Amino acid sequence: MNFALAWRILTHDKGRTALAVAGVFLAIVLVFVQLGFFIAVPRGGMLLYDRTRFDLLVASTAYEYQVQPGAFPLSQLDRAKTAPEVALAAPLYFGSAKWRSGEDGKAPDVFVIGLDPQDPIFDSEDIHRQLSLLNRPDTILVDSATRPMFGPLTAGRVVEIESDKLMIGGDYVLGTGFMGLGVILISAKNFVRLFPFRNLDQVNLGLIQLKPRVDPDRAAASLRNLLGGDIRVFTRPELEAHETAYWTTRTSVGLLFGSGLIISFIVGVMVVYQILATLVGRQLPQFATLKAVGYGDRFLVGTVITMALLIVLTSFFPALAAAVGVYAVIRDETLLPVEMSGARIAAVFAATLAMAAASALLSMSSLRRADPADLFG
Amino acid sequence: MIATPHPGRARRSVGFVPLAWRNLLANKPRLLRSSGGIGFAVLLMLMQLGFERAFFNASLEVIRLLDGDIFLQRASKYRFATRDPFAARDLETARAVAGVASAWPLYAAWHELFWRNPTDGKDFLVRVFAFDPDHPILPLPELDANLKELSDLDTAIVDRGARRFLGMDPQPSAAELSGSKVKIIGSFALGPDFENDGTVVVGDRTFAKLLPNPRGGAPDVELGVIKLTPGSDSLTMQRAIAAVVPTGVAVLTKAQLLELERKFQADVSSAGPIFVMGTLVGFIVGMLIAYQIIYTDVSEQQPQYATMKAMGYRTRYLVQVVLEQATLSAFAGWVPAVLVSILLFRIIGGVALLPLHMTVELALVSLLLTLSMCLISAVLAVRRVVSADPAEVF
Repeated sequence: MNFALAWRILTHDKGRTALAVAGVFLAIVLVFVQLGFFIAVPRGGMLLYDRTRFDLLVASTAYEYQVQPGAFPLSQLDRAKTAPEVALAAPLYFGSAKWRSGEDGKAPDVFVIGLDPQDPIFDSEDIHRQLSLLNRPDTILVDSATRPMFGPLTAGRVVEIESDKLMIGGDYVLGTGFMGLGVILISAKNFVRLFPFRNLDQVNLGLIQLKPRVDPDRAAASLRNLLGGDIRVFTRPELEAHETAYWTTRTSVGLLFGSGLIISFIVGVMVVYQILATLVGRQLPQFATLKAVGYGDRFLVGTVITMALLIVLTSFFPALAAAVGVYAVIRDETLLPVEMSGARIAAVFAATLAMAAASALLSMSSLRRADPADLFG
Repeated sequence: MIATPHPGRARRSVGFVPLAWRNLLANKPRLLRSSGGIGFAVLLMLMQLGFERAFFNASLEVIRLLDGDIFLQRASKYRFATRDPFAARDLETARAVAGVASAWPLYAAWHELFWRNPTDGKDFLVRVFAFDPDHPILPLPELDANLKELSDLDTAIVDRGARRFLGMDPQPSAAELSGSKVKIIGSFALGPDFENDGTVVVGDRTFAKLLPNPRGGAPDVELGVIKLTPGSDSLTMQRAIAAVVPTGVAVLTKAQLLELERKFQADVSSAGPIFVMGTLVGFIVGMLIAYQIIYTDVSEQQPQYATMKAMGYRTRYLVQVVLEQATLSAFAGWVPAVLVSILLFRIIGGVALLPLHMTVELALVSLLLTLSMCLISAVLAVRRVVSADPAEVF
C-alpha cells in the first residue's frame, strides 16, 4: 500500500519526478567523484605494489612509504631466499636522477627502478617480454605515463640521464603514481653505473614470492624470525594499511579530500531533502485528506520514505554509469588510478541510502503540518 | 500582497526590491531550506577553491619571501623544489655587472638530506636552505634566532611550524642532519607545504659540509639572488646580466620565477584538475539546487503572478522580480557559506598546517559563481512566469 501510493505520487507528475531523479543523480555523482579523489591518492601511492607480483615485502625498519623506503643489506634478502616457503626474493633499487633531455632544455627528475631483468615480478606480460631488453648495456624502459616534458619516449631515442647516455628500449604501461613525473626501469647492473655512489649490496625493497599453498601470514612470521629486528616484513594487507595510513594521516591529503567528501555528502542530503520536501509540500492537501479518512502518521511517514527510496534507487544506476565516465576523465587529467570498485559502489550505495533516510527524516516536519482542518481553511 | 491597480505607479510604490524580498521572507522555513541548500553547494565550491589556492600558495611561499630583484638559476631547472645548481663563478660574473648592488647565493636541498627527530631517533627527508649568514637573502617569518651564530659550523635553525613528527617544536637543543650532529640555535615559523614536511636553515659552511661539491671548492648555487642599485631598470639589467652569464644559466625576474613555478604546478601536478573538477561539480549541483528552489517558488506563486499579469503588470517586471529573488537567495546562501568556510579553513588549515585563508579574491570569485549559479537557474525556471495565464487563476 505504501509502495502503491508512493508510486502513484511519483508517476502522477512525471516532469517533477524526472527533475527530482536528475537532482539526486547529480548528488550521487558528486559523492562518487569526491570519494574517487579521496581514494585516488593512497591508490596512486600503491600503484607499483598493485601491479607487481609478490606475497611479502621486505624493507628496512626506516621504511616510510614507497618512495622513501630506506635500505637494507642484500645479504638479508639472500637469507630470506633460503627459507623453505620462499620461491623468489627479488631486490628493487630506487633512485632519482636528472633527465637532461627534456623539452625546452629542462631537466626533470626521473624515478629510476633498478631490478634484475630475470625476475618475473610484474603483472603485465608485456613488461616481461620487454625486460630482456634491459640486459643490453645502457638500455632503459620508460613508463608510458611519463610526462610530455620528458620529450618523445620513442624506442631507440638516446637520452642523457645525469651524465650518462642511455637508450630507450621501449615503453610499458604501469603508471607513475607518486613516484614522480617520469619513471624508468633499468637493470641493477646499469643502475649502479648510473648512480656511482650506490652499490648493489644496499637494497631498497625486496619482493618475496611464496611457494604455492603457503600461508602469507605464517611465512611472514617465520621470515621475521629469520631476518631479525632490523627488517620489516609486510604482508599485502599490512602494506596496504600502512600506505593508506601514510597518505591519509601523514600528508594533508586525507584531511583535504576527507572534508570534501563529507561536504559533498551533506550537499547530497540537501539536494534529496529539497526535492522530497517539495514533493511532500505539493501533496500536502492529499496527505491531510488521508489523515482525515483515518490513515495514521506512520503510514504517511512510510510513504515518504518509500518515495525517497524509489527516487534514490532510480537515480543510483545512471549515476554509477556517469561516475565511471567521470573517473575516466579524472584518470586522464590526473594520471591517478581512479577506478570503480565493488567496495566503492557499495560505499556510495550505503551513503545514498543514508542520504535518502536523512532527508526523509528532515522532511517529516512538513508532513506533520498536514492538518486535515487546513483542507477547509 | 496588496498592489494598486495602476502598474506604472505600483512599480514605484512597490519599489525595486520589496516584492522579491517579501516573497523570500514569506515562508521562513523555506528560506532556511533554500539558503541551506545553496549555502552547502557554495561551501563545497569554497572549500575546493580554497584548497586549490592553498596548494599553489604553499608552493610559492618561499619564492615570494626571497629578497631580490633578479634571480639566476640553471636553465634546466624546471621547478623551484628540485636540486639543479650552477657554478658559483657564474654568480661572480653577474655581480660584476654595473647596476648590481649585491648578488648572493641560496643553497638548497629537497630530497637529499635527512633530519633525525631528536626525540624518537627516526629519520625524515627535510628541506634545507642555506645562505651566507652575513647576507640573509631569505627573510624567514617570525625568525627567533641570532643569525650571527649561524656562521659557526654545525649550527641550524628549525621550523617550529613543521609537521609534528619531525620534533622541531618545542625547539630541540641538538639534532642530526644526515649523520652530522647540529646545534639548534633558533627557530622560525614557515610550515610545511604539500611536498615538504619541514624546513631547516643552515649557514653556507655547514651546507658545504653536508653536501660537498663533488668537484671540490665552493658549493654550487641553487639560486643567485641579485639586488639592483636603486633607480636601475630591472628589464635592462636582466638583459645586461644575461649577456655575461653562460647560456646554461637563466636570468629571471621575481615575477618570472613565480610564473615558472605556477605554470609547473598547473601543468604537471594533479592538484589543479582535482580541485577544478570539485568546484565544477559543486557548481552544477548548486545550480540544480537553486533551480529546484526557484522553480518550486515560482510554481507556488503562479496564481499570484497570473493575478498581477491580469492587473496589467508586464511580464518583464515579473521576470525581474524572479531574478531579484534569485539574487537574494544567492546572497542568503553565500553569506553563511563564507562564514562557515572561514571557520573550516581555520580548523583544517590548523590541522593540515596549510595556508588556507579566506581572501577578498576568493570571496568575490565564489560570489560570482553563486550569482551565476542562481541567475542561470532563475532564467531556466522563469519560463513558468512567462507562461502564467491570467485565465488559469480561475
